Amino acid sequence: MRRLLLLLAVAVLLLAPAVPALGQVPVGGLLTDPSLYQGEVTVEGELVGDYGYRSDGTVWTQLNDDTYAREPLLEGGPRTGGNIGIGVRIPAALLEGLDPPGGYRKRGPLVQLTGVWEYHDPDRGGESYLDVEQLSLIEPGREFGEGVSVPASLAGVALIVAAGALWLRRPRPG
Amino acid sequence: MLIKPVAEDFRVIAHSLGRIFVVVGLAGLVPLAWAMAGREWHPFSSFLLMIGIFLFLGVLGLRQPTGERLDWSHGMVVVALTWLLVPLIGAIPFVLSGHWGGEVDALFDAVSGLTTTGLALVQDLDHLAPSLNFWRHLLHFLGGQGIIIAALVVFAGGGALTLYLGEARDERILPSVTSTARFIWKVSMVHLVLGVTTLGLVAWQVLGFKLPRAFFHGLMIFFAGFDTGGFAPQSTSVGYYHSAVFEAAAGVLMVAGAMSFGLHYALWTGRRRAVFENLETRTILSTFGLTMAMTLAGLAATGLYTHVAGLGRQGFFQVLSAHTGTGFGTVPAPELAAWGGLAFGGLAIAMALGGMASSTAGGVKALRIGITVRAIVNQIREVLLPEGAVVGTGFIQAGRRRLTPQLAQAAMTISLLYVALFVVGAGVGMAYGIPLDRALFESVSAGANVGLSVGVTDPAMPVMLKLVYMAEMWLGRLEFVAVFAFLGFLYAWMRGK
Repeated sequence: MRRLLLLLAVAVLLLAPAVPALGQVPVGGLLTDPSLYQGEVTVEGELVGDYGYRSDGTVWTQLNDDTYAREPLLEGGPRTGGNIGIGVRIPAALLEGLDPPGGYRKRGPLVQLTGVWEYHDPDRGGESYLDVEQLSLIEPGREFGEGVSVPASLAGVALIVAAGALWLRRPRPG
Repeated sequence: MLIKPVAEDFRVIAHSLGRIFVVVGLAGLVPLAWAMAGREWHPFSSFLLMIGIFLFLGVLGLRQPTGERLDWSHGMVVVALTWLLVPLIGAIPFVLSGHWGGEVDALFDAVSGLTTTGLALVQDLDHLAPSLNFWRHLLHFLGGQGIIIAALVVFAGGGALTLYLGEARDERILPSVTSTARFIWKVSMVHLVLGVTTLGLVAWQVLGFKLPRAFFHGLMIFFAGFDTGGFAPQSTSVGYYHSAVFEAAAGVLMVAGAMSFGLHYALWTGRRRAVFENLETRTILSTFGLTMAMTLAGLAATGLYTHVAGLGRQGFFQVLSAHTGTGFGTVPAPELAAWGGLAFGGLAIAMALGGMASSTAGGVKALRIGITVRAIVNQIREVLLPEGAVVGTGFIQAGRRRLTPQLAQAAMTISLLYVALFVVGAGVGMAYGIPLDRALFESVSAGANVGLSVGVTDPAMPVMLKLVYMAEMWLGRLEFVAVFAFLGFLYAWMRGK
C-alpha cells in the first residue's frame, strides 16, 4: 500500500502541469502569459524613463528586464531587439536614495522588486502593472559616455560650406 | 506613343526637389540645436551630416535653370521621389546611432515616421538620445502636415496645385493652394501650443514628472498624436503613462488629427452645423460605432477583461487609435495578438477604414467609404423604385456636391487598390510562415499607416518583409496615384521615344 502511494505521488509529480514558481519571474513571461502569474511575484531589472510622483504617495515608473538593462547598447551591449518592460507602482518611501532612472547615457538602478502582479486591474481601468511591496537594490545606476563622430562632423560641415558657396554663386536671371 | 522625358523634364523635377530638400534641411536644424543644448555630441555630428546632404543636394537642385512650369506628371514624380529620398537621407542619424540593426532598419523607421505609420524597428529605445527621439517624432510632424505643404509655405512657386494634390490632399480650403497650405500650418501651430501645454501640464501635475521631462513627453506625444503617427518616446507606448487623463488628452489630439482640414476650417469659421452635415463626419461616426461595438463584444467574449471599466477603457483607446490611424497602444503587442476573433477583426477593420480625406490619417478614408455606400444605396433604390422615379444624388462635403458615376468609380477604385495592397502584404507575410490573421493585421497596419502591431514587426523579421511593409507605407500614404505616375515616368524614360 505504501509503495503504491509512493508511486502515485511520483506519478502526480511527473504528470502535473508545469506551474511557474511564484518566485522570481521574467518580465517577458508576465507579458506573454500574464494570467499564469496571479499573486505575489519577484522581478529583476532596470528602472527606466521617469519617476512619476503621484499625489497618493506612490511612484510610477518602468522596469525593464532585457539585455540592455545590464548593458545598454551605447555601452557596447549586443542588439537583441526591442525593450521588454512593465509598469511598476512603488511606495515613494522605498525609492528614497535611489539613483535616477535609466535613459540616454544613463543605466538606471538595477533592482529586485517583489509585489502583486495586477493583471487588468479593474480599479485602474484594466491596466496591468506590478504593485511593489519590497525593493532591494542590486546595482546602483551608472553613467557612461558617447563620443563625437569626427568624420560625420567634418563631412557635414564641408557639405554645408559647399552648399553655401554654390548658393552664393548660383546663376541669377538677367 | 510614350514620350521619353528630356533633360528639361529632369531639370524641372530637380529644381522642385531642391526646394523641398532645403526646407527639410532647415527643419533638421531643430534636432541639431536640441542635441547641442543637451551636449549629445554623437547625434549632433550625425545631424550635421544629414543637414549638409540635404542642403547640398537642395542647392544643386535649385541651381538647375528651368524655363518650364511644373506640369502634372512632373509634380507626381516630385511627390513620389520626395517621400522616398527624404527618409533615405533622414535615416542617416538613425544609422549612425547604433540603435538600429542596419541601414534597412533605419530606413524602415524613417519611412514609418514620415508616412505617419509608427511601426518601429528601433532597439533599446529606452536609452535613446532625446534629440534622436525628437527627430523620430519630428518626421511624423513633417509627414503629417506634408513636407510639400511646408515647401509651399516657404517658397512660392509654380506647380503648387499639382504638388498639393500629389500628396494625397484633394480639398482646397481657400482659393489658392498657398493660402490653404498656410492655413493648414496655422491650425497645426495652434494645436501644437494647446496640445503640448495640456499634455505637459498633465504629465507634470497629474503624473508627477519633472517639468522639463513632462514637456518633452508632451511634445513627443503631440507630434505622434496630432499627426496620427504612433511613435512614442518610451518602449511601452502610451501604456507608459498609466493615466486615463493623459490618454484622454492624447485621444482629443488623435481625433483632431484624423479630421480633414476642411472641417477644421468650418470649426475655425464658426460653422459647426457644417461639421455634422458632412458626409465624412456621418460616415466616420457610423464606422467608429460599428467597429467599437465589434471590438468590445469580441473582447467581452474572450473573457480577458472581467470588468466593464477595463474592457471599456482599453477597448475604446485601441479602437480610437486604430480608426484615427495613430497606432498608440496601451496594451503590449503579445496581449493584442491574444485578443483574437471579433475584437481582432474590429481593430483590423477600423485600421483599414482610417480617418478623413485631407487629414493626417491614412487608410481608405471615410469619404470614399461614404461615397461607395451612398452609390450602392442609390443603385438599390433605382432598382426598387418605379421607372422614372428620381433618386437624389446629392451629398454634403465642403458644400453640396453631386454623386456622379465617375466620382463613385474613382472612390471604389482607390478602395479596391487598398484592399489589394493589404492582401498582397498579408500574402508575403504568410509566405514567411506568419499565420493569416497576424499577417493581415500587420499588413493593414502598414498599408493604412497605423502602426499597431501584434509583434510581427521586429528587427529579426525577414528583409523582404521589411521592404514590402515600406512599400505599403509609401503607397498607402500617397494613395497610389503619385507612385503610379512615377512608375509610368520611369517606364517612359526607359521605353519612350
